Amino acid sequence: MEVALLGNPNTGKTSLFNHLTGSYEYVGNWSGVTIEKKVGLFKNKMAHLVDLPGVYSLNPLSADEAVVTEYLLAGGFGKIINIVDASQLLRNLLLTIQLIEYGKPLIIGLNMMDVAKSYGKKIKVEQLANLLGCPIVAISARTGQGCSSLAETTANYAKNEKELKVNYGELVEKYIGEMSELVKAKTNIPARWLTLQCMAGNSAVISFLNMLVGKKEIDQFLQDAEMEAKKSGKKLEDLLFEARSNLVKDILARVEVIEETNKETFTNKVDCIVTNKYLGLPIFILLMYFMFMLTFDWLGSRLSDVLDGFIAGIFTDMVSGILAALHVSAFIKTLAIDGIIAGVGGVLVFVPQIFILFLCLSFLEDSGYMARVALVVDKMMEKSGLNGKAVIPMIIGFGCNVPGVMAARMIETKRERMLTILLLPFMSCSARFPVYALFIGAFFAKHAALIILSIYLLSIVIVLIMAKVLSSTILKGEQSLFIIELPPYRMPSFAILFKSTWDKGKGFLKKAGTFIFAGSVAIWLLTYLGPAGFDVKMDHSYLALIGKFIAPLLHPLGFGTWQAGASLLTGFLAKEAVVSTMNIIYAVPNVHSLQHLMSEVYTPLASYSFMVFILLYIPCLATLATIYKETASKKWSAFAVVYSLTIAYGIAFIIYQAGRLIGLS
Amino acid sequence: MKEKFQVGQKIRIASLAEVNELVRRRLLDFGITEGSIVLVENKLPFSGPYILEFKGTKIGLRRIEALQIEVEMP
Repeated sequence: MEVALLGNPNTGKTSLFNHLTGSYEYVGNWSGVTIEKKVGLFKNKMAHLVDLPGVYSLNPLSADEAVVTEYLLAGGFGKIINIVDASQLLRNLLLTIQLIEYGKPLIIGLNMMDVAKSYGKKIKVEQLANLLGCPIVAISARTGQGCSSLAETTANYAKNEKELKVNYGELVEKYIGEMSELVKAKTNIPARWLTLQCMAGNSAVISFLNMLVGKKEIDQFLQDAEMEAKKSGKKLEDLLFEARSNLVKDILARVEVIEETNKETFTNKVDCIVTNKYLGLPIFILLMYFMFMLTFDWLGSRLSDVLDGFIAGIFTDMVSGILAALHVSAFIKTLAIDGIIAGVGGVLVFVPQIFILFLCLSFLEDSGYMARVALVVDKMMEKSGLNGKAVIPMIIGFGCNVPGVMAARMIETKRERMLTILLLPFMSCSARFPVYALFIGAFFAKHAALIILSIYLLSIVIVLIMAKVLSSTILKGEQSLFIIELPPYRMPSFAILFKSTWDKGKGFLKKAGTFIFAGSVAIWLLTYLGPAGFDVKMDHSYLALIGKFIAPLLHPLGFGTWQAGASLLTGFLAKEAVVSTMNIIYAVPNVHSLQHLMSEVYTPLASYSFMVFILLYIPCLATLATIYKETASKKWSAFAVVYSLTIAYGIAFIIYQAGRLIGLS
Repeated sequence: MKEKFQVGQKIRIASLAEVNELVRRRLLDFGITEGSIVLVENKLPFSGPYILEFKGTKIGLRRIEALQIEVEMP
């Protein structure tokens, strides 16, 4: 059996999921969209638990909310666990009531009682359970307290004993009766729930009913109901909302004991500073600076150096020792050392940096700060035709563009979402960093931080300019709006933090083991083979032939070598593959010797132009696939490739040519 | 011109009729409707968004949308 886990955003749903299941059994995708469907097995193995996106209501405004409604309409689950934030009962219960109306057995996990207490609120849990007619288990999703009891209650609870009925008034009840006739024997979903949802204008439910009963009938039904409601001077939707909200207020009056405390909450104190008029933006910039310094300078690069030394030294010696002892052929030996270790190892070296970056990002996401960033930058984003919320996918994009593109679904208007998706590939993801690290080490060692900062700033400037350009040309029109909840600050627990860091970072490791591995073998083979046969000189290999084909195009950008052309091609598969390819092509044992070699092939200006080109030139294969899934449009996906190539070429051209004019080299 | 919303002031929502449909529905999700009393907690500079507080929920709302809310003093 399947149990659905539902609740408002920021209520500790994911933590609860982890406590109830231990881990994901699998992570799949919801049909048609790339939103993750996480399914886990309860610790007592009695059922599967499905983690659904957090929603404010069942009436979907954004793409991830639609997933929840579609899931309810598909009806393939047995029970619902509803996580409720005790400190914000009013709006949580508005959702709970809609879930109870769905008719499946529902168990409430009441979270954050301690927070409610700190606000001076006490909740009579037993009485609340009586009034709602469903069991309530007090839990702490942070510590895991009460979670096993919740699992037990869920396992043993088979049927809602008492049905909670909201008094919607005669009019609504009459139409519920009519709907029952219309859908009779056609669906297992209660007619009451369907009626209430479609009357509230729930687009997903309306199209479900259109399919089930017929568009004409439903249109007529809604028209009649709306007409009749008008006579009483109210809109149907408001009528329903008022009935629900009156019930909730009534319940709250009975179960909530408010002991007035006037102490200022921690969140308010922090907000005074981080959303301060003058300090808001500087604090954000400072935090970003801290994050990048920690990743690329203070900690990350040192760990990477150690790892580089290990892979190029002890590890390579060990492998060649073993291969020699096994008397393998020279072919296998060069494949292993010059192909696989050079290619995969060259990328693995950056694992510490990437994990530190992901750790910082997870912290920002889980602490509640991201929503404040959206708020602080909204004005600036509005001027370029974007939405403050777009900054969240973009910051996530610094880690990896793929989850960034997916995160854009929280943006409500279609135009702004599309805009955000199209701009996301310009955010410099962690996979691009190895390329910068390589060139910066070779040419700009003394000004490393400055150069890397200039690359990141360039990406942000391009995003803002392109946002303006796109939003005033092809993505013009349609409304823009901005409303966002500012969740209370929470110190994320270490366990959760490490788990989400691992979830993000393991993709990079997986890529190294599969894509980069296979790619390295293929690239090495292309360098080993040539029209003349085996073991040819590198310059006469197939790879050189392919690279030479592109090289003339790149000449005006300053890096018209076949090596650059070939590595750019592989960079489409994964940006870090550029480094793998160069490691193999230049056949050097480690990053340091590669850097030495680079300084003979490139000029500093050409290397900067190359870095800029890498920053902008194309969304990697995985990102492109995600863009295609999220936009469901071949046209826009193709556009994403063509326009980024054009911009990359244009800007690299300007940088190189203008640089030469003013006498740089 | 005097600001419509003063930071630190409590306002009663008189009407949401002029507010953008999506914003209005989101406000309803938070439990905010006509008659609700909301605290104007903060305002960001350069005509930036407002921060409103309602029963422990904090909401950031773009100025232009916030100004469409008709309010009265409680």
